[in-house]
Amino acid sequence: MSNPENEKDVSRRDFMKLTIAGISGAIGAAIGLPAIAYIVGPALQKETETWIRLGSVNKVEINTPTLFKTTIETQTGWVNSQEELSAYVLTENGQDFIVMSNVCTHLGCRVRWIPNEESFFCPCHNAVFAKDGAVVDGPPPRPLDQYESKVEDGVLYIKRG
Amino acid sequence: MLAKLGDWLDERFAWRQVWEAIFLRKIPHVNWLYTLGSATLFVAMVQGITGILLTLYYVPSPDQAYDSVMYITTQLPAGWFIRGLHHWGASAMVVLTSLHLLRVFFYGAYKYPREATWITGVVLFLVVIGFGFTGYLLPWDQRAYWATTVGTRIIGVAPGAGEFILKVARGGDNLSAVTLARFFGTHVWVLPATLIGLLLVHLYLVIRIGISAVPNRKEE
Repeated sequence: MSNPENEKDVSRRDFMKLTIAGISGAIGAAIGLPAIAYIVGPALQKETETWIRLGSVNKVEINTPTLFKTTIETQTGWVNSQEELSAYVLTENGQDFIVMSNVCTHLGCRVRWIPNEESFFCPCHNAVFAKDGAVVDGPPPRPLDQYESKVEDGVLYIKRG
Repeated sequence: MLAKLGDWLDERFAWRQVWEAIFLRKIPHVNWLYTLGSATLFVAMVQGITGILLTLYYVPSPDQAYDSVMYITTQLPAGWFIRGLHHWGASAMVVLTSLHLLRVFFYGAYKYPREATWITGVVLFLVVIGFGFTGYLLPWDQRAYWATTVGTRIIGVAPGAGEFILKVARGGDNLSAVTLARFFGTHVWVLPATLIGLLLVHLYLVIRIGISAVPNRKEE
């Protein structure tokens, strides 16, 4: 009776097995795939780029890194918080500005400009950076990070994100 | 290769025997109403999975609960979907459990030797209601807040100890951070643990005793 050549010759049991496996797989994918997107979602979100107002360019002293402090609103997940952002601004001619992060490139401590020594010092591992952020001494792997900046109507802005 | 692995595992776990006992057991000729229990179990599993996913972001504190729920719903990819499944699944749980219970009741399937299956089932029904009640507060929006204010107030009407039980349920005189935290703890720890324990007994009994046949109209 049964003919193995015949395609229709699938037993009732095998048909049920295949159907159940198919439906189970579809349901699993319908929940599993969104679940993956849901879990990795926050990691894929791009930070939005914004220009942050640092302050008037008049406050920048020629040839001396000047510290600018500003508070920025940040949103992480569903929590809004205020964060203090500090940056050193250096200019040689009053026209072009270098804005350096005060975060040590070694392990993230905050560096300080010591006027008498004409250098930045990091208190954590005694790193020393030159006026323009270049590494002079200590373990940092690269110079101080710089922000992209612009001047509009005598006000200095930096780009974040 | 796969067959070999199956044999290797079977030699150690005897999983084929377990599989046979669970899925290849003999059942009487029944109708579609007998699938209500399995349907309830399926939705319960969906609730478990989506519930676990929701706890990845949800924060049970008055100042963050609502915001975290909004974050899940509007900011996360598929967050609306996961939350939606959990939301509608909750209603489906109550409906399916009720129908399952009514089927067993009207078919007289709770009688000897299935009394213990029935009793665990009734307690499981109460657990499902408890899930619904505690889960309703968690979004911490106006509806949740006032529904739970009213819902817990009902406890207070009980004679004698009512006022005291009301205070215990709320963790104080009014709905507060304490209420939200204990409803959350109940929703994600106490009730799931109870559910799993009772469910295992319930299913064991279903398999151990077998299911009842459709009652016969004619007297034999």
